[in-house]
Amino acid sequence: MDDSPRTILFDKYEMGRLLGQGNFAKVYYGRNLVTNESVAIKVIKKEKIEQGKVKLVKQIKREVSVMRLVQHPHIVELKEVMATKAKIFLVMEYVKGGELFAKVAKGKLREDAARKYFQQLISAVDFCHSRGVTHRDLKPENLFLDENEDLKVSDFGLSALPEQRRSDGMLVTPCGTPAYVAPEVLKKKGYDGSKADIWSCGVILYALLSGYLPFQGENVIRIYKKAFRAEYIFPDWISLEAKNLISKLLVVDPEKRYSMEDIMRDPWFQYGFMGPIAFSIKEESHNLPSAIEGSLLDNEDEVGEKEEDGGGIRNNKSSSRPFYNAFEIISSLSHGFDLRSLFETRKRSPSMFISKFSAAAVVGKVEAVAKKLNLRIMGRKDYMVRMQGTKEGRKGKLGMTVEVFEVAPEVAVVEFSKSAGDTLEYVKFLDLDVWGGNLGVLLWYTKKGLFLIISRDLD
Amino acid sequence: MGCYSSKEAKLPGYEDPTVLAAETPFSVSEVEALYELYKKLSNSIFQDGLIHKEEFQLALFRNRNKRNLFADRIFDLFDLKRNGVIEFGEFVRSLGVFHPNAPVEDKIAFAFRLYDLRQTGYIEREELKEMVLALLHESDLILTDDVIETIVDKTFNDADSKGDGRIDPDEWKEFVSKHPSLIKNMTLPYLKDITLAFPSFVGRTEIEDSEV
Repeated sequence: MDDSPRTILFDKYEMGRLLGQGNFAKVYYGRNLVTNESVAIKVIKKEKIEQGKVKLVKQIKREVSVMRLVQHPHIVELKEVMATKAKIFLVMEYVKGGELFAKVAKGKLREDAARKYFQQLISAVDFCHSRGVTHRDLKPENLFLDENEDLKVSDFGLSALPEQRRSDGMLVTPCGTPAYVAPEVLKKKGYDGSKADIWSCGVILYALLSGYLPFQGENVIRIYKKAFRAEYIFPDWISLEAKNLISKLLVVDPEKRYSMEDIMRDPWFQYGFMGPIAFSIKEESHNLPSAIEGSLLDNEDEVGEKEEDGGGIRNNKSSSRPFYNAFEIISSLSHGFDLRSLFETRKRSPSMFISKFSAAAVVGKVEAVAKKLNLRIMGRKDYMVRMQGTKEGRKGKLGMTVEVFEVAPEVAVVEFSKSAGDTLEYVKFLDLDVWGGNLGVLLWYTKKGLFLIISRDLD
Repeated sequence: MGCYSSKEAKLPGYEDPTVLAAETPFSVSEVEALYELYKKLSNSIFQDGLIHKEEFQLALFRNRNKRNLFADRIFDLFDLKRNGVIEFGEFVRSLGVFHPNAPVEDKIAFAFRLYDLRQTGYIEREELKEMVLALLHESDLILTDDVIETIVDKTFNDADSKGDGRIDPDEWKEFVSKHPSLIKNMTLPYLKDITLAFPSFVGRTEIEDSEV
């Protein structure tokens, strides 16, 4: 079936031309028949990797759970997995612009272009590290460009999750591609995967600026020898600042190598760094074909941290004060109706609260808290307040929306939602600064039996 | 389909994924991924491969003994055969209603049946008040009876457009179209990612290559 011109997969995808080929897998272009969206489908023949079913399942499970953890604008997204008796299909985001390597093969990049890709690479790798994931096989062949010439990192097949660490937090499985691999990985001793990734980032930066690799040789042994001593020569066209950064990355002793924080502080790196592609806060979806469809689209975030829209497509079309009816209270606050609990084991950060104050009073308090927390109020419409953090996060600035609905004269339901930024940072912010901060307390929150009362010092 | 005689014994109530996929918004792989979840839920207390009420409560509340009016309603609606347990086919068909691509009418009808506690074909005022009280109790929230009456009255005036003291399916449909957030919890975005959440099925699938 692989070679026939029109192959339909599970009535859902049309398979197209071969995009690439590896040891265990072929990657095809594909098209979602319903949405018309382009995808890349990685087809793995089970027989090729099947050394006992358990191992196969374990390996695929690991790859899938890793990719699910690391959804980021500069990381290729895994959309779904399908399988037959003989094959496994990983449906991924299709990245149009091809390999970054193809660009480098044509010659070195200009310094500002190289810097942009390096900044995007670092923002992706830093994001993974914040999730406890190390890539361990970073190289230009795993770096792609999308139609906007933005970087996308792919291939987490070898990446390591935290569970694979030894008790001292060190990784033990050696893997990766020789020319890019850090010395401590080659030595087959335990190593810190994130420091090893930073070495590889150094090799990539060198290659982008030079057009060739820092450690070369006729065979693997020679390459290793050079890497062990960090033996490389800079071409003279590389600027002093860039040389300085590379020399801090290609350091044999992982302890002395730059950390992520060091890189972020480096002047060459910082130049023009804007953080990851900003997640803009979309306007409410009032213009959707029907209000009902809108509510179904509304709730994307829970699964894999997909960015959801500004939250407010509820019944706030009227400018009168929003009233929350009894069914809304039941459906949004009852745990018994919340089937999300069937699918996830981790604790969810609460987002709905009941407050024993009028809606107007709650809005006032929310704005007062926002000021105290240094949040910028981006918009205020009726009983909805939109705020934005001031710090640049891993996915740009945090954006959050607070909506207040009146239930009865002195009872309001308050809903918090994230409209932009990194979910992990958002949850931390809520837990530490909003609920646990020294602000006193904001709202009367009932879902987990935690009682909060608006503090007086805000009045 | 006879071809499902496999190395791994299937649980009672198991059904052919291709049949379930044809009847629901799920693909075959998604049904197989749901089977991984089903196995986990249906063996959490009783090792019989069927989801009992206690197992359902354990999954929802991390507590097998926690009774809850709304969880009871969901369980009863999932239990299509009304034999006190949720079988795999019932699990998939019911969750299908919660799929992001499921028809909105199905979601609206399912929600109506949830709230029609006594299954009279109407949502009565007493039923609504009973649910509000149950929710307040669940949330440890104490409101005066006056406030509760106000909430129920206000909602009923809005929903019971014919003014006959009960909400019928047509009034409900109209009410939901005015308040789309009412069926927000009838959609589980998770279901779109189910193959990523339970990828173990790739090693167990019985789907022949000729079938896709």
